[in-house]
Amino acid sequence: MADFRVHQRDGEGVSVIDLKGYLDAHTAPDLENAFQKLLNDKKFNIIVNCKDLTYISSAGLGVFMAFIEDVRKNLGDIKMSNMSPKVYNVFDLLGFPILYEIYKDEQEAVVRFRAQKKP
Amino acid sequence: MSRLKKILLLAGALLLLLGVYLIDVVRLAVSLGQGTWLTVREAAVFFSFFFLFLYLQGMRGAKPLTVPKNLGKLLAYSLFVLVLIIIAANARPDWVPEGGTQNSGNALATLLFSLTAVALGLFSIMALLSIRDLVYYKRKKWTKRNFIAYVVCLLVASVAAMPVLRGDGQLFGPLLFAVAVVLIVVNSFKQNWVVYLSRREKMYSIVYASLLFLTLLGITLITSQSVLERALIAYHPPLQSFIRLNAIFGVIYFGMAFVSTLFHMPTAEVYERKQSELTSLHNLSRLVTQVFDFSDLVDSVTGMTLEVVGAKSAWLELIKGRNEQGEVLVEVVSLKNTTRQQIESIAVNGDLSLRQFVIDSKRPLVIDDISNDRRTKHIKKLDVAVGSLICVPLASHQELIGFLHATKEFQYGFDQDDIDVLTTFADHVTIAIENSKLIAKSLERERFQQEMMVAQQMQKRLLPQRIPSYPSLDVAAVSEPSLEVGGDYYDFMTLGSDRLGVVVGDVSGKGVSAAFYMAEVKGIFQALSRIAASPRDLLLRANQALADSLERNAFVSLLYAIFDSSKSCVTLARAGHCPMIHISGDSSSMVRPSGLGLGLTHEKIFEDSTEETTISLKIGDICIFYTDGLSETRNSEGEEFGYDRIVNVALHCRNNSAETIKNSILQEVRNYTGNSSYGDDMTLVVVKQL
Repeated sequence: MADFRVHQRDGEGVSVIDLKGYLDAHTAPDLENAFQKLLNDKKFNIIVNCKDLTYISSAGLGVFMAFIEDVRKNLGDIKMSNMSPKVYNVFDLLGFPILYEIYKDEQEAVVRFRAQKKP
Repeated sequence: MSRLKKILLLAGALLLLLGVYLIDVVRLAVSLGQGTWLTVREAAVFFSFFFLFLYLQGMRGAKPLTVPKNLGKLLAYSLFVLVLIIIAANARPDWVPEGGTQNSGNALATLLFSLTAVALGLFSIMALLSIRDLVYYKRKKWTKRNFIAYVVCLLVASVAAMPVLRGDGQLFGPLLFAVAVVLIVVNSFKQNWVVYLSRREKMYSIVYASLLFLTLLGITLITSQSVLERALIAYHPPLQSFIRLNAIFGVIYFGMAFVSTLFHMPTAEVYERKQSELTSLHNLSRLVTQVFDFSDLVDSVTGMTLEVVGAKSAWLELIKGRNEQGEVLVEVVSLKNTTRQQIESIAVNGDLSLRQFVIDSKRPLVIDDISNDRRTKHIKKLDVAVGSLICVPLASHQELIGFLHATKEFQYGFDQDDIDVLTTFADHVTIAIENSKLIAKSLERERFQQEMMVAQQMQKRLLPQRIPSYPSLDVAAVSEPSLEVGGDYYDFMTLGSDRLGVVVGDVSGKGVSAAFYMAEVKGIFQALSRIAASPRDLLLRANQALADSLERNAFVSLLYAIFDSSKSCVTLARAGHCPMIHISGDSSSMVRPSGLGLGLTHEKIFEDSTEETTISLKIGDICIFYTDGLSETRNSEGEEFGYDRIVNVALHCRNNSAETIKNSILQEVRNYTGNSSYGDDMTLVVVKQL
């Protein structure tokens, strides 16, 4: 099984989490930890870049749901970007695009965050 | 030695000695001359003592040697002999025999001197045997040879003392005596037994050895006094020589033993400590196999640390992990005679941790003088007396798992022995801790497996036990759980004689929690299916009902369809689940009304985005419901089975029964995956319009 990696980087008031590999029940805690750390650091503008994410299970989807409420309560958001069609399909099937902003490119998400901040 | 043999030896010796006494009494009155009688007498004395020797030798072999006890016995006997010879030495002068062939005195005097001689002889043999046991303790190559040389010399000197052989042996006698004394001194250096005594035993040995030295000195001096010496020579010259030499041996040997024990007194503590260390290590290795409970184990470890090195306080830390800077994070799992605050103030000095020295060197850290060591300058103002400290790493397979600490109140409290012992101890502790962790892990696994079994049984019961029969619908269904319990779920709702509700879903999570949510979903659907006006209405109500019970990260995806045979149509609403496959003639379509998974959101957006769709069904039309476990099943190359394959199989055998279509799809999945087991649950429901 392909390994899973979470990498977090900061830039211009936005925190980016890069996902790589399989996100399932076994690897979900890694992503949970990454989110938790950002929340502890009061970083609520989060982009999850799914460029190298090859698979996501229901447990993986659950991680986003676990944190979105807290993030939005703090006037932040979790936006997603760079999904492969296959991964997008999983998100889409469940109706995630209705609840989350999903962008083709990370930069679009960054721009969107900036636009939201201004007013 | 058999009992009979012992009795015979003792009886023989006593009879011979009685015979000798009778001869002596007869000699009081009648001169027996130099001839046969005297030879017989001498032989009788010799054999009686030989028998006594064999008897005593046999007695000794029966019991194992305990030094102080044997010395005590010998001392008691020596005191008795001493008293006896003091009485004999103070006998009336006219009682004392003149020597030679003619006996003088009376029968009582003869009895007294005979008894004295026999008692002395017996004591000599006992002393010799006792000394032999001591000399032979931890014997080396020369030990036995030296001792036998002495015994030979002793016997030769004794035999040489016989009047018959004496002749002009005035030079021969002293020469033998000198050689014997040299051998006595040589043998007296064999005092190895002293080392192995405990402190208490050494105390006893000192007292006994000194008293034996004194009594034997007394015996030596009194027996060489003219009165007694003459009496003994008169009784039996070789015996006198035997007694004299052995008494000298006893004086020198026990004198040396006294000195040796005295010198070994200071080492008694060391020896005893070594012994207690060994015992503790032994206890610990027993503990390794016996203690399964982690907290019991670590408590015994700190307890034994105090015991093994006589420390004031001890604590055990295990490594929990590392922080972002790569520093180890430890947890104090057991402590004795100290507090967490003290430990913290001792072990950590700002950014400098004593543990770091151990981590870097991978060796024990010893601080001999805490108040003057640069590594511990920070703990000068400690409110408890800590003079020295040791920190030993616990390492398993090159990996550091923790630290064992001990402190003493005084400086330079830990010597090399302590370090060695604690290092060995730490190895045992590491094994014990690893073992206890493994046991805990296997217990946990067992619990987990039991939980899985319960969940599996629950899941099985939650699935419909039979498929409802409708005249216009052919229905087949299967749900294959994976190794772990997943959240696949399907159910049928009988809504009157012409309507059938079908729900296929996937509850997020696995194991008991999935089975629990599944039960909840089943309850909601069974209850609401009769009230809800439509599939969409039911999904909206179900989302509300689940709002309070689902965890934040849990959700349920499902598809709910109602087949209406009177109208030949199916109405369905989808909550984030895989679309339904509709096969009509040789064409297929995905029916995918929009909709969010249950539990994703409770806001109005759920209602807004959930749609419902109705499809009319022709005879022979097939509706296929499934979970992602089926469509996402992978082959050995990691490729998913996919929707298209399901559709193709269904198209291929669309003229068969729902059961056959279901089985064909499953068979295709199995062929596709080969031998690899399914990763997820697979659920498939096929409904065919008749």
